[in-house]
Amino acid sequence: MTLLQIEKMTHYFGGLRAVYNYGLSIEPGQIRGLIGPNGSGKTTIFNLITGIYQPTEGQILLEGKQLNGRSPHDIASMGIGRTFQNMLLWRHMTVLEHVKMARYSKLTYGLVGAFFGTSRRHREEAESEQVAFKLLKMMRVDQYADQIVLNLPYGAQRRVEMARALAMEPRILFLDEPTAGMNPDELVQMMDIIRKVHGELGLAIFLIEHRMRVVMELCERIQTLVFGEVIAEGIPEEIQNNPKVIDAYLGKETVE
Amino acid sequence: MESTGDELSINGKLKSSRVREFVAPIPLLSWLLGALVAVALEHYIGTSFAQTLGLRKAPMLFGFDIMLKQPTLIHSALTYLVLIYFLPIIVVARLSAAGMNGLAAILIDYPLMLTVLIHLGMLYAILHWWSNMSLYRADVLRFTLIAVLLTLSLNLINGYMGEFSCSHPGFMALGAYASSVFTLGLFADDRVFGPALLPQWLGPYLFPVALVLGGVVAAVGALAVAIPSFRTRGDYLAIISLAFMFIVKSLIENLEFVGGPRGLGDQPGWANRPVVFVTVVLGIWIINNFVRSTLGKALNAVRDNEMAADAMTVDTRQTKITAFLFGAFWAGVAGGLYAHALRYINPGSFGIQMLAEGLAMVYFGGLNSVYGSIVGACSISLLGEMLRPLELFKWIIIPLLLILVMIFRPTGLIAFREFDVKKLVRPKQASDR
Amino acid sequence: MVFFQNLINALQWGSFYALIALGYSMVYSILMLFNFAHGDIFMVGAYIGFGVATALVALTAMGNFALPGWLVLALTILISMFLTSFVGMFVERVGYRPLRDAPRASAAITGLMIGIILETGNLILLGAQRISFPSLIETSTYQLGGVVVTNKKIMIVLVSIALSFALHQFIRRTRWGMAMRAMAFDYAVVPLMGVPLNRIAALTFAIGSGLAAVAGILFGVAYPVLDPYMGILVGWKAFVAAILGGRGSVVGATLAGFLLGFIEMFVPMVFPSTFRDLIAYSIILLILVFRPHGFFGEPYSARLRL
Repeated sequence: MTLLQIEKMTHYFGGLRAVYNYGLSIEPGQIRGLIGPNGSGKTTIFNLITGIYQPTEGQILLEGKQLNGRSPHDIASMGIGRTFQNMLLWRHMTVLEHVKMARYSKLTYGLVGAFFGTSRRHREEAESEQVAFKLLKMMRVDQYADQIVLNLPYGAQRRVEMARALAMEPRILFLDEPTAGMNPDELVQMMDIIRKVHGELGLAIFLIEHRMRVVMELCERIQTLVFGEVIAEGIPEEIQNNPKVIDAYLGKETVE
Repeated sequence: MESTGDELSINGKLKSSRVREFVAPIPLLSWLLGALVAVALEHYIGTSFAQTLGLRKAPMLFGFDIMLKQPTLIHSALTYLVLIYFLPIIVVARLSAAGMNGLAAILIDYPLMLTVLIHLGMLYAILHWWSNMSLYRADVLRFTLIAVLLTLSLNLINGYMGEFSCSHPGFMALGAYASSVFTLGLFADDRVFGPALLPQWLGPYLFPVALVLGGVVAAVGALAVAIPSFRTRGDYLAIISLAFMFIVKSLIENLEFVGGPRGLGDQPGWANRPVVFVTVVLGIWIINNFVRSTLGKALNAVRDNEMAADAMTVDTRQTKITAFLFGAFWAGVAGGLYAHALRYINPGSFGIQMLAEGLAMVYFGGLNSVYGSIVGACSISLLGEMLRPLELFKWIIIPLLLILVMIFRPTGLIAFREFDVKKLVRPKQASDR
Repeated sequence: MVFFQNLINALQWGSFYALIALGYSMVYSILMLFNFAHGDIFMVGAYIGFGVATALVALTAMGNFALPGWLVLALTILISMFLTSFVGMFVERVGYRPLRDAPRASAAITGLMIGIILETGNLILLGAQRISFPSLIETSTYQLGGVVVTNKKIMIVLVSIALSFALHQFIRRTRWGMAMRAMAFDYAVVPLMGVPLNRIAALTFAIGSGLAAVAGILFGVAYPVLDPYMGILVGWKAFVAAILGGRGSVVGATLAGFLLGFIEMFVPMVFPSTFRDLIAYSIILLILVFRPHGFFGEPYSARLRL
């Protein structure tokens, strides 16, 4: 069954058309890419799917279940994990707390457990700590577990955010420019990690990227978005050679 | 010049590290034992010893009243403090450290609850004995404990949740009035509510019900602030909460059956020291449990970045409403205790003044911290009492102190610290910091 | 008739609220601070006005020359504005500037504490007894079809409207006003543009405090009894009005001040007068629930930075 299916999604901000007639279907385990110049509506599409905005038209299905009209935390717990372009981290929380927080919807102890410290709570908190540590190890940031996340180096912060998104056990992971602002070393590390996440967890990944090299190496299929409309879709080679893409996007910006 | 400065600072460091070395291996149990010995000492010889020193009676609040009123007696008060409090505590704590560490090590194998109860029992014994010396001390103790609970509940919203809420006096008023109406209506021959409906002896047993009722009423009132918080945050919510506080105050002033602006008096004095102590400890325990759970940390996530919290499956609405209702509940309980400790309430006392005091305690002690709230509430209320002889100047010194704290530690003295009971009661080693 | 009588009174109270609200609103818009000390600056302004007026009256008596009452009042207002603006700048320097990078809530706490210090300081200096403001101008009463209007009331309303108009023009048209608007727009960028942040902050406080002093003197003219806690009741209401007006809007703050005056005067026509606060604040609460950014504020909710 198709994992994520989007049909004819359109969105207006006031009178401004931000996304027009967007369609997408992702199968389990696929890596898909979305590229496009600044302001073309890539992040808006993420925000529409994850429920931060409600699309004006169109429908979004996750494993056949309608996502339109649901709240963001609901959609997240149904299986869409994401990271943010500018890393929305919690400035006063430790690394471990970040990752444990994403287990929120998996906890069943409720307020009674929270108030009175029942054995169920201790069990569940211990479990989620285990999961968290496993992910932190996978992201190679477990040595920072008890540190405030803002004190970490930039690349490590990105990896913490990734661990956080994975802790909610998503079916599909949305990455919004995961390599933004990274130096070449960090970039290579991040690509390894994305491959590892894909390989070890078998996750589907939907990726927004600016750097051509990353999308071209990682993605199976790529869409190009200009002014909210998909102008080209295909495998990396097709996109690379598509004159419309080169004209709208590659021609104007340096290719890395 | 510079070299001497360095030497001095090195000396200072050496001294402080020596103090640290001396203090490090002392577990909490020993400190409590030391304090117990000190209050026992005061109980048996305090008054006569004070008279030998030329004081009229034992200094009530660590000698401040004497030192400020009669500067000629400063040396006597200091001698008293050193000989009755400081030396016994230090000596007993240090001498018993080895033994108590052993005891603490044994206790580790038992459930944490047992250890905690032993500590709390000792703490209560100390406080009880200390406050037995005078009615004044007993009052200071009760109101300080109530202030701790109020501060903690305010910290839940202002610190953990990060909303500048001004509605706490309102919550407290709701709790105070609801529980007073309950106890006065059921158990007292009162000119407002008529004769008692239930026998007197039942009263103290139903007092917890009165407190819970106060808390629940406050929590229901808190919906008026919690629901707007879904849409509005920050400054405008602060104003909504401020308006809420004034509304509650004005509403009560207009309710004739609870006495209107004249207030409500003669509540049964059931909020005695043990009741207040147990309630406040229970409150601290539950609040601390909550803020250390993932559900409680969701408050911090919503505060630091709501969008990220939402995207990480945190139900932000439920989190906000929990924070407001839970915080208001404990403020209501504190209000119930306050009403039955003071045995008189009027709407005027739940206004800006109380708000300023509550905020002062939270921000002095430290945001997002149970330790901070305890320290803040105790220091501001004790300071308020100790500086009483200064009369008006008290209201210059305390605000100045708070301004200094804000300038040098803008989030308070002990902010963002977890209150880990396990760490607190475990045996200490010399290498511990 | 009662309606028009109340209207006059509402305009007068609205003038006090509006003048004080302007000070709150300026600090709030430009520096993103709750200046909780502002109500007490109003109180200090009234006392300074009292001092200046008394001194002026004594001076004219000593010099054996008679100045007309309105001239004395005008001089009192000008001198007190000048003096009180230093109080405001002092408050900013001591209480707010050191906390500029701190969480905004902490600055709100220092403001609250400075307010307490000002009240207590006043009590220590002048004692607890109430002081009556010297009457500088004769009250003349006009009957307009059964409605009693005094020259004082007319003056109060006119002065406050004129001042808020002047402030509006100042912020719209002058270079300093432009810098203030820039700062209100983006706090962080301003230093990059070469606008001296500290000087603007000081100016903001100076202007706000000057206006509060005028409010204090006018209050003293209308209700010639001063006490150290007069700033609390009037101040908090004006604060609410300022926020209600919306961030960055002089017009909004003025109108909200007058609105508050109207609510307060007209509620007792229908309900018992003890319901005044209850209904006034309930209306405010409802307005904020349904219009969370005030009347004229842009939809921009600033978080209290922690």
